[in-house]
Amino acid sequence: MLSSMLQVLILGLALGGVYALMASGLTLIFGVMRIVNLAHPIMIIAGAFVAYWLFRLYGVDPILAMPIAASVLFVIGVALYKLVFEKEAASAKYSEMTVLLTFAVALCADGLLGALFSNTQRVTTPAYATDAFIFGTVFIPKGQAYAGAISLLVIGALLAFLNFTRFGTAIRATTQNRAAAQLMGVNVGRVSLITFGIGIALAGAAGALVSFIFSFFPAKHWEWIAILMSLVVLGGMGKLVGAILGAFLLSVIAAFVGTYFGSTWSTMTFFLALFVILLVKPEGLLGDRQEEA
Amino acid sequence: MHELLEVSNVVAGYGSGPAILNGADLDVAKGEIQCIIGPNGAGKSTLMKAIIGLLPIRSGEIRLLGERIDRLRPDQILQKGIAFVPQERALFPKMSVRENLRMGGYTIRNETELKRRIDDVLDRFPILRERASQHAGTMSGGQQQMLAMARTLIVRPKIVMLDEPSLGLAPMIVKQMFDIMHQLRDSGMTVLLVEQNAVVGLKNANRGTVLDLGRTLFSGPAKDILTDPRVRELYLGKAAA
Repeated sequence: MLSSMLQVLILGLALGGVYALMASGLTLIFGVMRIVNLAHPIMIIAGAFVAYWLFRLYGVDPILAMPIAASVLFVIGVALYKLVFEKEAASAKYSEMTVLLTFAVALCADGLLGALFSNTQRVTTPAYATDAFIFGTVFIPKGQAYAGAISLLVIGALLAFLNFTRFGTAIRATTQNRAAAQLMGVNVGRVSLITFGIGIALAGAAGALVSFIFSFFPAKHWEWIAILMSLVVLGGMGKLVGAILGAFLLSVIAAFVGTYFGSTWSTMTFFLALFVILLVKPEGLLGDRQEEA
Repeated sequence: MHELLEVSNVVAGYGSGPAILNGADLDVAKGEIQCIIGPNGAGKSTLMKAIIGLLPIRSGEIRLLGERIDRLRPDQILQKGIAFVPQERALFPKMSVRENLRMGGYTIRNETELKRRIDDVLDRFPILRERASQHAGTMSGGQQQMLAMARTLIVRPKIVMLDEPSLGLAPMIVKQMFDIMHQLRDSGMTVLLVEQNAVVGLKNANRGTVLDLGRTLFSGPAKDILTDPRVRELYLGKAAA
């Protein structure tokens, strides 16, 4: 019984790292630009496709493909921001418009990926994806272990970038008080552009890891948006550390629910959590009750 | 010979709403404290936001040392030499005092120079040195105002604009704030101030400008405005008597 619970806990924690990476870009973009990016999960799928085709065509390991997927998605993110969102920054209906625009982007990207690659389920299959570390009665699938560990490394690098670099400090300042950041000499337009690119690049990086731990197809992103929103809302919208905590917490809970109540209820955990958080503590674990100025 | 800052016939408003500034004029000379007064809704804060570039102007001109700055972004205007402390102080509440000061020097890329300037400012505001590690959002109103002022000094601007610096502060703290403004003026800096408490503002200023309904009614030496019967009647009440 105890080892079975330990097994579930380990699997939950390993997936939690990947969920944290999947959610990090979403919360970063919301923190700086107040854009609820409904297109974030389809960008994860796009990253997964980059890794998939590099693996299929050239035999590139999906972990090694991660920087390539992140770079491709960074360019897509910057282009999207320039073409779609930059003009809206001055709009009085910014929040409503950006939600609609990200929804439209999600629909278009979903359609485009579906037309190009069909909605067939795909997965990359490096050798470690079907192997496991075994410690007595407990096992850890190598794919999940690698994906979880690499996710934590990427998130660590992101936190270091935000806390110890000049541009990262400008991003944090813009998150806390956009007008004040401008008054300190920060070009918030440039910060928004680069941050959007970084957020989408994180989706791409997550996609490369997702490609060997989940099967994926374009329309899968509709399922993920609710999962990612629940993690971000639980942590406090725009709070990166909160999203990471939320990811581990909900992932572990979902793993236990899945084991003891069935896999359908595992996914439902995220949806139910979203409802409960919004009703009981809408500001999330680390959010402020009152919006920062 | 140009004034340091010249605002000519500026019209500005928020979004597509009505104009708040309807042809405002302002001249600010180097090394003075100038106080803008006027009733609520006169456009005092809006004028400052227009000068710093937070609010685009619809027509008119704003010049710093003769150079037009009215199409620049706030970060570019800061680099030209105008710093602004808005009414809400615009601190980063989750950053420490030292981090806020570092943000004040965001445009200074030389780390040694930045550290030296932060040290200079902390010498001027010893209370901030004591609280260097404290989050700005947890400080008292007076300390936050000190930090907001101190932070603008890191870049050694030509003009410091302060919107209602005495708002919500105890009289003793207000006196300290004005003492600091006098020190800044004496060191050659220019201070442009919006003050709801017109008597206190004008008593501490060299020059005053009276705004109403987005227009400049008149400007002149602060002591003359203090005793001007029209101003006293309209804006100051009996307190100035």
